[in-house]
Amino acid sequence: MTTEVIEAARPAVRRLRRKAGEGIGLNSAAGHLVMVLLSLFCLFPVYWMVVTSLRPANAIFETSLWPTALSLDNYAYALNAIPIVRMLLNTLVISVVVTVIQLMTGLLAAYAFARWRFPFDKLIYAGVALTWLVPFQVVMIPNYLLVAQLGLLDSLTALILPHFASALAILLLAQSMRSFPREVIEAARMDGARSWRILWEVMTPNLRGTIASLAILIFISTWNEYFWPLLLSRTAENSVVQIGIQMFMTSEGNAWGPLMAASTMASLPILVVYIVLQRQVVQSFMKSGIR
Amino acid sequence: MAELSMSRREASTLRLRRAGNWRVSPWLYLAPAILTLVVWIYWPLLDAVRLSFFQWNMLPTSPQKFVGWENYARILALPKFWQALRNTGLYVLGLLPLAVLVPLALAIYTHDLPARSRNIYRAIIFVPMIIAPVVAAAVWRWLLDPGYGMVNTGITWLGFDPVKFLTDPKVAIWTVIVITGWKLIGFSTLILSAANANINPSLVEAARMDGASKWEIIRDVRLPLLSSSILFLVMMTILLGAQWSFTYINVLTGGGPLGATTNIYYLLWDFGFSSMSVGWSSASAVILFLGFGAIAFFLFKLIDRYSFHDN
Amino acid sequence: MHRKAFLAGAFALLAAGPAIAQAIPATVDQPVTITFYNYNLASAGIGAEATKKLVAEFMAANPNITVEGVPYSSADASRIQADLAAGLPVDLVQTVFSDLDFAVENFGAKALEDLVPADELAAHFEGMSPNGLKLGVLNGKTYGLAYTFSTPVLFYNADLFRAAGLDPDQPPKTWDAVKTAALSIKEKTGAMGFTGGIIGPGAADWLFQGVVRSNNGEVISRDRKTLKFAEPEAVEAVQMLRDLADAGAYENMDFNGALENMAAGKLAMYLQTSALQAGLVAGAKDKYELRASTMPSFGDKPTRPNNSGSALTIHTADPIKQRAAWELMKFLTSKHGYTVITSEIGYLPLRTDIVTDPQYLAGWVAEHPLVQPNLEQLSRLEPWDPMPGPNYRQIVKTMMDAVEMAVFGGADVQPTLADAAANAQALMP
Repeated sequence: MTTEVIEAARPAVRRLRRKAGEGIGLNSAAGHLVMVLLSLFCLFPVYWMVVTSLRPANAIFETSLWPTALSLDNYAYALNAIPIVRMLLNTLVISVVVTVIQLMTGLLAAYAFARWRFPFDKLIYAGVALTWLVPFQVVMIPNYLLVAQLGLLDSLTALILPHFASALAILLLAQSMRSFPREVIEAARMDGARSWRILWEVMTPNLRGTIASLAILIFISTWNEYFWPLLLSRTAENSVVQIGIQMFMTSEGNAWGPLMAASTMASLPILVVYIVLQRQVVQSFMKSGIR
Repeated sequence: MAELSMSRREASTLRLRRAGNWRVSPWLYLAPAILTLVVWIYWPLLDAVRLSFFQWNMLPTSPQKFVGWENYARILALPKFWQALRNTGLYVLGLLPLAVLVPLALAIYTHDLPARSRNIYRAIIFVPMIIAPVVAAAVWRWLLDPGYGMVNTGITWLGFDPVKFLTDPKVAIWTVIVITGWKLIGFSTLILSAANANINPSLVEAARMDGASKWEIIRDVRLPLLSSSILFLVMMTILLGAQWSFTYINVLTGGGPLGATTNIYYLLWDFGFSSMSVGWSSASAVILFLGFGAIAFFLFKLIDRYSFHDN
Repeated sequence: MHRKAFLAGAFALLAAGPAIAQAIPATVDQPVTITFYNYNLASAGIGAEATKKLVAEFMAANPNITVEGVPYSSADASRIQADLAAGLPVDLVQTVFSDLDFAVENFGAKALEDLVPADELAAHFEGMSPNGLKLGVLNGKTYGLAYTFSTPVLFYNADLFRAAGLDPDQPPKTWDAVKTAALSIKEKTGAMGFTGGIIGPGAADWLFQGVVRSNNGEVISRDRKTLKFAEPEAVEAVQMLRDLADAGAYENMDFNGALENMAAGKLAMYLQTSALQAGLVAGAKDKYELRASTMPSFGDKPTRPNNSGSALTIHTADPIKQRAAWELMKFLTSKHGYTVITSEIGYLPLRTDIVTDPQYLAGWVAEHPLVQPNLEQLSRLEPWDPMPGPNYRQIVKTMMDAVEMAVFGGADVQPTLADAAANAQALMP
């Protein structure tokens, strides 16, 4: 199976796909109806968050679909009450670094699982997966003590360190590497490529779709992380945006307006990351020759 | 090196590429990941196993008092334990359609749409993912409130009685499941779409040339090739369903009403992880780890069988 | 337990060595930095602003003392536990009353009588409400001074009372009256009648303790060895709540749901901490008339309200820091301190004399009639008993789960409580 074959087949596939689209014309109205309903279900709470962030303080509990009076007061208040820009920057730095590092360690480890059989490989694979089952609250204080010994309290480094590797990245990548055609690896090996080059020059480019999806997922889970920063951050300037958001949820009730404004501000960067990386997913699918 | 590996390749089948032979390379590749997981997770976990037999407040100045199995006995004797276990099963059952079936249908359906509508739909389905869990929970609670919530305003407008989504013990668990699923659909759709996009178009085309219908292509080509991703998601849902719903239980119901939404993870958190006694918290962790570990072991066996089939 | 506590105390004495032997210095004559673990700082808003303001004023007046505010979440004190385990200095803490026992036994909170010369202590206590001072006393010693604390207040929506034909100037004083009013409001206006932060998700046990006490029961014996929430008085109190729920007068709502329905004007009566006042006033503004009354009573038995909130506790073993922490504590619990805490956050003054003093709170109290029931209850205030031992959180949960089952879950009150009391008693030290 080579690139040329598929490139040659591509126009035919496109043609076919178009025809298939017409073929299900009857279903497509129903399909779109379902999709629109589902979209409403997905979007409405988010829409509500944005609309509420724009309502003035005494109209917060109104149920009109569109705010009767628009106000940016909540944004002004949120920006004033917490250093949210600084927090967003911190979170961005942490999320980008963690995403890159987790992808690296994930690719390396997944490659080892997919490429070789070695003693205890299944045991180690299971060991990686089982880290999912360790509740964070249990390892939290020992980790905190370790960070304290390293002298890294209240620093961004400490927020990144425990996330150098994740089970999700390793397992997801190993799983897609395993379904990678062996013939291609063997062909590269016959060309004299070493395992290091096979990983970066053959495997990785062809896993772009998976890598991009994974990058989105890692980025989001790091962005939304809460418990570890809560324990670690002592000053608002070294804190992340999730802590900032929670500062509006108090034991005297939630400050709804600023809470919604802060979460709207915190959500936008992720949406941008998603759109950029999603395009990458689509393009890699369009371009990739070999599965 | 190349020749050497070539000859070995000829000597053995591809799949059984050499066990029982200590090589350095795989360990080098694994080192960064294993090191991280051992330092930050397994080392403290080992310590937790030991501490689960002690009563201690974690302060270096106070003594660790050996209490044997007492911490375990107390947790297993919690009145809500069996209720929580049953609820955990309900969570998994309820989440499977939302975390696997619906996203699978979405991934396959949107795949054949024109690029523009495909991207728009997928982006919309993804949007719930970007909202912080606590905020998502707070907004949902607001929308579902019997007094001033939008959803109940709609329900009463249609002439029905308002539904107490979060305070009726029969309804509450399904409410929490749907909200957890709402956050998850985007995640699973993303993974399945990527896997679906990885499927070689020439395979689909070959099937089409053979006169396969659209449904047959899905059944005979796409689903088998997606099976490992599907199993992966099923495994995640079973193992992590209880954890995924944690934030929503915590913000929305606190495990109530009357324990109706408590699952095993929340119960262990409530009495163990969130307490200051290391013994309770460690014993809870060990119970969770061993319990779900056993399930994971079984699932791995299952997946192993399927991937052999795939090869 | 007592012997263990004694031994632990003796051990602490030995460990601290000469530091304890010498009394704390009279003044801070060299630069010193102390940490102030404060949960108000963990949220944005009036609580944090007022705290920062007070700390800044204190540092300006005491140039030798630097105060480093450390935010922590009141829901779990894991930050304090982790920092103590890591050997970081934890000097002054805003401790929730229910954690007081654990703070003393495990986090090394110091008794003020052991630190401060008796005459200086007496001088500072001058003018403080005797009931308020008792709140921070454990085993006969003052470990904490009430800092941000409040009493249960029955907030009510005067407009809904009028709409139901009830007189808002005569708010219900007894639980029977609450039931009647709630049912009549529900029937005539369609709004919800009554709810309280007594039980259910997000409720601590302070309000429940007050309800049981008002029926002359208690949840734990005075020597803090026996749980008593399954005794007849407590059972009767829970049975009353159950009847309220069965009649449809008592709505089963979580904390945020209740708060927001009250703010949105959909709930007529809400029994909760007076600390919510500021938020409720803001929600009611231009919408409806919000009023407040005292906690309802059982027939003609006088109510015995207890407090919610926090105390200040000193944890450092270093004499200079102890002096610095004590100075900050004195400042925060001064007439000026309580004026800020009461008028800007919405808690109660431990010093009752400033309420009528025009230099402090007199003007503010006149403008804020809602605080009256709160002040009235100060004279009958009783402590929020902290559960003892390392399993105190599990004891509280076991008790509160059982009460919820008994009130809203249809379980038989007496056996449910007795069962829980037996389970929880096994967790006592």
